[in-house]
Amino acid sequence: MSWRFQRVPTVPAGAALAGRVGAILAALACVAAVLSLAGLAPARLGAEVIGSAFGSVAGLEDLGLLVTPLILTGIAVALTQRIGLWNIGGEGQFNAGALAATAVGLHAGGDDAWALPLMTLAGAAGGAAWILVPTLARAFAGVSELITTLLLNFVAALLVAWLCTGPWRDPSGRALATTARIPAELPPLGDTLHWGLPAAIAVAILAAGLLAFTRFGYEVRVAGANPGAALYAGIPVRARIVAVMLLSGAVAGLAGTIELAGTVHRLQGGISNNYGYLGIMVAVLARGSCLGVIAGAVLMAALLNAGIVLQTQGVNTSTVLAITGLILLFTAVGDEIVHYRPVRRTRILG
Amino acid sequence: MDLITGILSTALLAGGVLALAALGEVLAERVGVVNLGVEGLMSLGALTGIATVAAVPSPALGFAAALGVGFAFGCVFAAATVLLRANQVLCGLALTLLGSGLAATLGRSYAGAPAAAVFPQVAVPGLADIPVLGPALFSQNVLLYAIYIALPVGLHLLLFRTRHGLNLRAVGESPAAADAAGIPVAAIRFWYVALGSSLAGGAGAYLTLAFVPSWSEGVVAGRGWIAVALVIFAGFRPLTAVAAALLFGVITALGFVGQARGWPVAPAILSMLPYLGTVAFIILPVVAWRRLRGWFAAPAALGLPYHRDVR
Repeated sequence: MSWRFQRVPTVPAGAALAGRVGAILAALACVAAVLSLAGLAPARLGAEVIGSAFGSVAGLEDLGLLVTPLILTGIAVALTQRIGLWNIGGEGQFNAGALAATAVGLHAGGDDAWALPLMTLAGAAGGAAWILVPTLARAFAGVSELITTLLLNFVAALLVAWLCTGPWRDPSGRALATTARIPAELPPLGDTLHWGLPAAIAVAILAAGLLAFTRFGYEVRVAGANPGAALYAGIPVRARIVAVMLLSGAVAGLAGTIELAGTVHRLQGGISNNYGYLGIMVAVLARGSCLGVIAGAVLMAALLNAGIVLQTQGVNTSTVLAITGLILLFTAVGDEIVHYRPVRRTRILG
Repeated sequence: MDLITGILSTALLAGGVLALAALGEVLAERVGVVNLGVEGLMSLGALTGIATVAAVPSPALGFAAALGVGFAFGCVFAAATVLLRANQVLCGLALTLLGSGLAATLGRSYAGAPAAAVFPQVAVPGLADIPVLGPALFSQNVLLYAIYIALPVGLHLLLFRTRHGLNLRAVGESPAAADAAGIPVAAIRFWYVALGSSLAGGAGAYLTLAFVPSWSEGVVAGRGWIAVALVIFAGFRPLTAVAAALLFGVITALGFVGQARGWPVAPAILSMLPYLGTVAFIILPVVAWRRLRGWFAAPAALGLPYHRDVR
């Protein structure tokens, strides 16, 4: 009698979750092993990371500031995942959104009532505009959205860097590579936290509702699960792809707007801080569930916070990217491994 | 005249980096695996090259070490996607994040410093004296000839003129049929993905040992992604991939020369050219020549993991 592994097509939610937790723990164990090899004490660092993020109100507020853009960039990826596509250009749409909001914000006074709504609109439109070409190419020519969305990230970063060192540079001359401070800002919700966080959570809930309870959401889910069946059922798949991708770009653009109007207040190079790329991780951790994105964003923010703590120990902030990659790799492998069950090999005919 | 020589010379170097990475991706995609980790592999290779020549001043050794590092990480990627059949897009993105992050973390002490040794330029006697073309074509490092001639021609013959190449393409088009014909699908996929990753690592070292020649965080700057896009634009063929890489080398060189000569265009706009060009070049052919869609078609099983028991 022998055993072998058999693949089962569907996995119960509990096993899937266990696979996820196991994958993240395994990745963190790898990181801890590397850190201790580098002569750092992982247990003490871990306690410090958790203490700094969750141990005080100020720590929690800083965590909230990181969670806010991550929820939105995560939603941007999760939306496209539901229709079977990957928007990995969140970074560029984030920058485009911040840029468009800056264009409006620089011309508005601090107490203009229309400033914030108009900046929000401009930011969302900027994000959507940035994904327009990849969207049309995907929907009407079948060009992979993976590469087109990603390549535009570099263009957006160059554009932002150029604008804040060139035409939009702070005329007061003190800051070298930023625009002037934008007068309109989001109302505060504590010492550093602002209304961006509740707004981001609201967007996540709205997106979840849109997908779960509307006809549009149903059509999107069917088109994602089986495009052929969706076409036969009379669902306009192309129109849904266009709508979902533009919406995704708009949400990422909104993330840029909120980061600008709530946290940074000036357009500057690197304002996107990899939030667009980390949003991919957030959406993957959430398995494409819009409410799960909130939990994924908190986890990712804690990781980013760990990077800030590590920096005080002389470790580069880019380490967080490496750790994120490792977790993503383990998660992808774990997701597949949970599909296997050990079964007893039975002999046919003696 | 100097202008043309300068553009051509820079274009060959810039295109060489892309060509090497694109050839590696052609191998992986021909056996049916999308490797989106090229950017990360190139970052690791770029750092390996710089770190090796800092210890031993031999660019050939640095290049070989980068090939080795690319191969090692390629084996990890292949183990995850081919043996464990995990999602290829996710694993590729993970490899890009892991590679870029790891290289930036480990490479901090090398940041900004020029490479300790670079590939020397070898003038071909006689030919190097040809006006305009001579200095650009025949006064380059030796590796360039391997990248532009030996490697693509060799891979073309392997893929399209041998039985092994036929097997290899069968694995990418229809793994189930290949499996039924007795071709070892998993082994072929594993080794060619690892080999392709090795070339991506080498492309990174070529970038820091011949083209830029120095290391900084983000030195790869999206070249890995451009290489992935080039493969699509080149219809998954080695010879056209190298030609496309040279075209992008020219676009990059135009940006450099424009900045150096103070053309009345913002430098940032010139730096955008390779990225915008790539987006345009993967969209335009399918829009403009609908009849040629078959020529641009990807291997049929590209991106799909093969489960023998779930056929």
